[in-house]
Amino acid sequence: MTEGKDDIWGIAHVHASFNNTIITITDQTGAETLAKSSGGTVVKQNRDEASPYAAMQMAETVAEQVLAQGVEGVHVRVRGPGGNQQKNPGPGAQATIRALARAGLEIGRIEDVTPIPHDGTRGPKNSGF
Amino acid sequence: MRVAVTGTPGTGKTTATERVESGLDLVHLNEVIREEGLATGRDEERDSLVADLDAVADRLSDRDDLLLDSHLAHRLDVDRVVVLRCHPGELERRLTERGEPTAKAEENAESEALDVILAESVDRHGEDSVYEIDATDRDPEAVAGEIERVIDGDRDPSAGTVSFIEYL
Ligand SMILES: Nc1ncnc2c1ncn2[C@@H]1O[C@H](COP(=O)(O)OP(=O)(O)O)[C@@H](O)[C@H]1O
Ligand SMILES: [Mg+2]
Repeated sequence: MTEGKDDIWGIAHVHASFNNTIITITDQTGAETLAKSSGGTVVKQNRDEASPYAAMQMAETVAEQVLAQGVEGVHVRVRGPGGNQQKNPGPGAQATIRALARAGLEIGRIEDVTPIPHDGTRGPKNSGF
Repeated sequence: MRVAVTGTPGTGKTTATERVESGLDLVHLNEVIREEGLATGRDEERDSLVADLDAVADRLSDRDDLLLDSHLAHRLDVDRVVVLRCHPGELERRLTERGEPTAKAEENAESEALDVILAESVDRHGEDSVYEIDATDRDPEAVAGEIERVIDGDRDPSAGTVSFIEYL
C-alpha cells in the first residue's frame, strides 16, 4: 500500500444473517481482500449471547489485521437483517461496527445494502418493525 | 386461525400450499395485490409493485381461517408463521428454470442466504409463532404435509435451524 491519503481506507463488508456473521475487509475497490473472518456455525446455540460475542471477537481480529497493514479507517457495507433491526436476534451489525471502532479503526460511511426479496411485489422498507 | 406461509420467492410456497388439505381458505396474496392494485408505488429496478400492507390488511380484515401464501404474509396479523427455506443455490436454479431474470434470481438467493424473511418473521411474531421448514430436498407433498402439521398443532416452533451464509 502507498502512503496516499485515500489508500489507507478500506471497506468492511458485514454479512449479518439470523445467526451468523461474516466480516471481510477489502481495499477501496473491493478487489483485494485484506482480512476475512466468519463466525463459524453458531446454529442452535444461544444466539442472544454467543453470536454477538463471536461477531465482536471477529471484528477485533480483522481490525488488528488491517491496522497492521496500514489501514486507518473503513467504510462499512452491511448486508443482512442484523443491519438495521436492533431487536433482531442475529449478532447485529451494530455490535460489529462498534467493535471495529473500539479496536482503533475510523468508521466512515455506513451503507445498508440488504437484498430485498421480490416477486412482482415487494414490501415497503420495514421501519415499522 | 390465520396461518402465513412465507419464504423467499422460489422456496416453493405456491406449489406446496396448493397441496395442503385443511379447513383454511388459501389466498395467494401476490395475486390479490396485483389484481386489486394494493400498492403505494412501483420499484422499477425490481419490476415490482411496492405493496400497501395496510390496504392488504384492510382487504382481509373480515376474514378468518386463512392460509396466506406470499413472501409478504409474515407482515400481516397472523397466528402462526411457516417460513419455507431452500438452499440459495437450489433456489436460484428453481427461479431461473421458472424463467425469472438473472438479477431477480440472484437477489432472492442472497436474501435467502442472509435469512432476511426468517429474521423479519421472528422480529414481528416471536420465536414461539415461527415454524421453519427446510424444503431444499423435499418434494412438494412432503412440504405440504409439514405445513398441515403446523396447522394441526402437531409441530413445535423452530427458527435458525439452517444456515446458508456460506453460500455468499
Ligand atoms: N419441493 C420442491 N422441490 C423441487 N422444486 C420445487 C419444489 N417446490 C417448488 N418447486 C419449483 O420451484 C419453483 C418455485 O416454486 P413456487 O411454488 O413458485 O415458489 P414460491 O411460490 O415460493 O415463489 C417452481 O418452478 C416449482 O416447480
Ligand atoms: Mg408463489
